[in-house]
Amino acid sequence: MTIAVSLGSRRDRADIRRRRRPEGLWLSVGLYAALTLTLLAPLVVTLLWSLVDPKGGWFAPDILPRGLSLVHWQAIAEDRSLVASIVTSLSISAIVMALSAVLALPTAFALAKIPFRAKRAVEMFVLAPLIVPGLVVGIGIGFVFFRVGLAYTVPGVILAQTIGTLPFMIRILSATLENLPMDLIHAARTLGATPLKVALRIVVPLTWPGFVAGGLLSFVSSFEEFEKTFIVGAPQVETLTVKLWAVLGGKVLIFPNAAVVTFILLAPTVIIFILAERALRNESALAAGMGKL
Amino acid sequence: MNRLTVLVLLLLPGVGFLILFFGLPLVLAFLASVGLGALGNSHGFTLEHYRSIFTDSVYRDGLVFSIYISVAPTLVSLVIALPLAVLLQESFPGKRLFQTLYKIPLVVPAIVAAFIVMTLFDRGGEISRLLQPFHLQLPKLVRDPWALGVIIAMAWKSIPFMTLIIGGSVAAIPHDLKHAVRTLGGNRLTVFWRIELPLALPGITAATLLVFVGTTGAFAVPSLLGPIYPKPLSLWMYQSALEKNDWATASAMGIMLSLVACLVLVVYYRITSGMRTGISGETR
Repeated sequence: MTIAVSLGSRRDRADIRRRRRPEGLWLSVGLYAALTLTLLAPLVVTLLWSLVDPKGGWFAPDILPRGLSLVHWQAIAEDRSLVASIVTSLSISAIVMALSAVLALPTAFALAKIPFRAKRAVEMFVLAPLIVPGLVVGIGIGFVFFRVGLAYTVPGVILAQTIGTLPFMIRILSATLENLPMDLIHAARTLGATPLKVALRIVVPLTWPGFVAGGLLSFVSSFEEFEKTFIVGAPQVETLTVKLWAVLGGKVLIFPNAAVVTFILLAPTVIIFILAERALRNESALAAGMGKL
Repeated sequence: MNRLTVLVLLLLPGVGFLILFFGLPLVLAFLASVGLGALGNSHGFTLEHYRSIFTDSVYRDGLVFSIYISVAPTLVSLVIALPLAVLLQESFPGKRLFQTLYKIPLVVPAIVAAFIVMTLFDRGGEISRLLQPFHLQLPKLVRDPWALGVIIAMAWKSIPFMTLIIGGSVAAIPHDLKHAVRTLGGNRLTVFWRIELPLALPGITAATLLVFVGTTGAFAVPSLLGPIYPKPLSLWMYQSALEKNDWATASAMGIMLSLVACLVLVVYYRITSGMRTGISGETR
């Protein structure tokens, strides 16, 4: 009797011990190790490059720089052209995001809710800017903008970037709108709401996750867009990516300067991205929009 | 207002914008590439510009190289993203955080990815410094003839995107199916081969295609990390248009690059239209 009890309790204890080790611990260790090697380590090296003390330098075979200093960051903070680039980049991206959302909503609504014969063709056409390489679009639109005087202007760059963000926005919004009950819209209309009011009070709030996902993607893809901006805007309109390209592709490549610009370019996108991830909780809106073509 | 007017008015903002700023320039570029229209010097209809892409060895190599630096990163990403997407379905400590962090390369500009590859993999970069005490040497990875640096940078950037889309379609598979296989004695690998892989195939093909297409006309990464020769068609195209002011040849190259992308798309639709109805009865 006593033996049986003690055996049972030992098994219980083993059970508890097994349960205490969280499920998938090794998977977690492996995934985080891979993440550290492929993401964290490169960023740390880049950060070190931005902090190299010019007096000591960082030459092979030194694994770490001789000294650290904020000299490069200070120099950049005093660099008017870089501050101007930051402002240009952020404002262009914000306008592109808003413009894409406004242009996309009615079209997405039609694609999601109204059956019509040429729908498949319209869907394909909307996706086409994602298929045609950005450089090809850039050179095509660049030539047209030359003729009409939009080349080398901020509005020109905004229009060119919106070509690339609009397809994402339309896809994601129409995927979200498909789940919107039409009854609500009909009810509001019956009760006397204007179409604009229906859009603002019913459609937008209920498809908000789609707006957040699409807006995030638009902002980020505008902020990091290079090809179209480079052809339509450079050298007059200098966004951060155009600036970094100039630094990296120049005759003398100064690593610390490039590293500083890299971090300025990364910070807003990564912060916005992490904030939006929290707000979204899941990527269903994004996956639903892009998972099938 | 009748239904058609409403429909047209609703479609107008989005589709109209794309017709004006995307469709029209592309049509003009196509006309220029066959010697017609307002772009470049018009000498009447000609296929000379296309002929030069196939006969001029510089451009022919460029076309082949463009396809190479697009296929290779796509395959590398697929090999990593597919298992990753499946593993991310499991529960593990710190899953929420990991799911946010792994997506960071998604928002890292391609030029930054190129710079990171330079600092790590170039001769005298961090990795070769770390290997030096062990008397190991990295092969040339930046501006090397096999464009390995280009492949690393582009794959690094594409993996999260692919994982996200494949993960979405793996997550959509009913759990009952997986449990049924496990109950009937199948192991984890059987679940992967017999359930997850076939049912997630539409997502997998979509992700593969999008990554391939996204890298076809890549410009910044190959221009910073790619070899001096061969250059991808995108770089020759840029040179023709903005340095030589030869818009007709540039347009012909642009149309060629777009055709490669469209061809892949057509093949994709051929494959998946049968597959989708076969697997899930979805007729979309």
